[in-house]
Parts: sequence; structure tokens; C-alpha cells
Amino acid sequence: MPSGAVLAFLLNLLSAFVALLTSYYAYRTNRLVRNPVLGAISFGFTLLGIGLLVDAGTSLFTGHLVVESYADRVFVLLATFTYLTIQMVSYLVIAWGYARVAYRGEARGFVPAALVGSAAISLYGYTILSYFVALILIGFVVFQGFLLRSGEKSRFSGTVMLAFVLILVAHLVFLGSVLALGSSYAGGIFLVGIGVQFLGFISLLVFVVRSEVVGPR
Amino acid sequence: MAQGEKQRSVLRINLDILNAVKDEGDAKPTHILYKANLSHERLVKYLDDLTAKGLIEVKQDGEARTYSITPKGVGFLIEMRHAEAFIQGFGLAI
Repeated sequence: MPSGAVLAFLLNLLSAFVALLTSYYAYRTNRLVRNPVLGAISFGFTLLGIGLLVDAGTSLFTGHLVVESYADRVFVLLATFTYLTIQMVSYLVIAWGYARVAYRGEARGFVPAALVGSAAISLYGYTILSYFVALILIGFVVFQGFLLRSGEKSRFSGTVMLAFVLILVAHLVFLGSVLALGSSYAGGIFLVGIGVQFLGFISLLVFVVRSEVVGPR
Repeated sequence: MAQGEKQRSVLRINLDILNAVKDEGDAKPTHILYKANLSHERLVKYLDDLTAKGLIEVKQDGEARTYSITPKGVGFLIEMRHAEAFIQGFGLAI
């Protein structure tokens, strides 16, 4: 199996672990605090963790990094489609949570508007569309997080902002790798994206650990 | 209603009261009232609620009444400290 696929598997597996850990802490905090954004973060990161596990499993199963080599395999097509859909929905859920707080319950039209045009004509088209939609949604989360942070600055919010910015950059790289399909360096670009995304999840892990070891007032 | 109370959530008010009681040790209602920035009427309601939940306990010595935090209350404050750190990370507040 190519070493790139093994690396992608490991990084996605660790990212999935951090996503599920973040989801658990958001769930636990939401039981005490009752905040719709936390509910959305908990559910969104659960979906993201599951999606990353699916993607890690696909990398391991096929030994390949990018979508182009999957085309003739029904299983991989389904797995890739599942991962991309879960990823898109997970960021949609998180962005919707932020939208609810930012626009005070006026975000009902946000979900259908974000999903318009997401019907898959081909896996390639669907991949581009899903990464593009994910980019917009993560960009929205970063923007809202930045606005909220300016009102409630804490020593923890910078780490979370860094995580979302890194995940945003990773999705730009993913989109670039899909657009570069067919070239010899598409797999390399995709692996860079996975690496940047992993750094984003490491940043989230640092935040979760720091929030747990915070001392008395 | 005391100034600033309107903007605070019930949870925030309870935390302010618990912190005031914890800081004072055996806290008199007037001290808690001052530190938690509440009207007397509302303070009594919150203190009764926290006592019923076992987070604080009341000591009656003749006319004097003082409140102290229970081990359960200390545990709740620690748990809430972690929760507050987590929620602040996402740009939110209690």
C-alpha cells in the first residue's frame, strides 16, 4: 500500500478521534449551559468524526488518496459520496448553530439555501460542489466566530479560531487537489490538505485539554 | 431589579451567588446581595433554590443567618469553570 494512503488513514483517524472528543465535550457542556450553538457543535462534530472515519477506512481499503482512481468501484464511490455528504452536512449543522445565535432564530432559510444545487451529476462534480459548499460554511463559521470572539474575548477562543481557519485552508487545498485531478501532483496536494486539516484538529485538541485543566477562579 | 440583572442568565446569577458564598466562607445575605448584585426579593428566591439543590447550606444562629457552600456546590463550580472555558472558546458566554 502506498505510504501516502497509510498517512492519510492515520491523520484522518486521529482527526476523527479529536472531532468525536470535541463533540463529547460540547455535549457535556451543553447539558449544563443549554446553548443552541453547543448543540449544533456537538452534533456537527459527531457527523464530522463519522465522516472522517469513513474517509480513513476508504483510504485504507483502496490504498489511494484521490477520487479519480475510485471511479470503477461501487463501494468506493458510495464511501466517497457518503463522506462528502456527511462532511457537508456537519459543517452545515455547525454553521446553522452560529447563524441561529447571530440572527436570533431567523436562520430557517439557511439550510435549504445552502443545499441548493447540491444534487450530484457525477462524483467529480459532487466532490467539487461539496468542497465548495464546505468552504462557504466553514468561512461562515470563522466569520461568526470572529464576530462573537470580538465581544467575548477569552484566552481559549484564539485556539478554536485557529482550528477553524486551518480547516478552512485545508478545504481550499482539497478543492485545489480535485481541480488538479489528472495531474501527477493531485495526490500530493490532497495529502497536504489532510495534513493541514489534521493541524486544525490538533489545535482543537489543545483547546479541549486546556479547557479541562483550567484552574479555580 | 438591580442594574445589570436583566442581561444575566439564571445560570450566571446562580454562579455569581455561589462564588460570593464560596469567597466569603460563612456569608451573610447582605454580603451575597452586594456581590451578586441582586434585589433582596430575588436573592431570597435564588438562595432557597440553591439550598434546595444542596449546593449551599444555611446556618441559623439566633437572628443571624449565614450561608456556606457545600462539597456538591464546590464540585458544581469546578464543573462550571470547565464548561465556561469550553463555551468561551467558541465565542459564547453563559
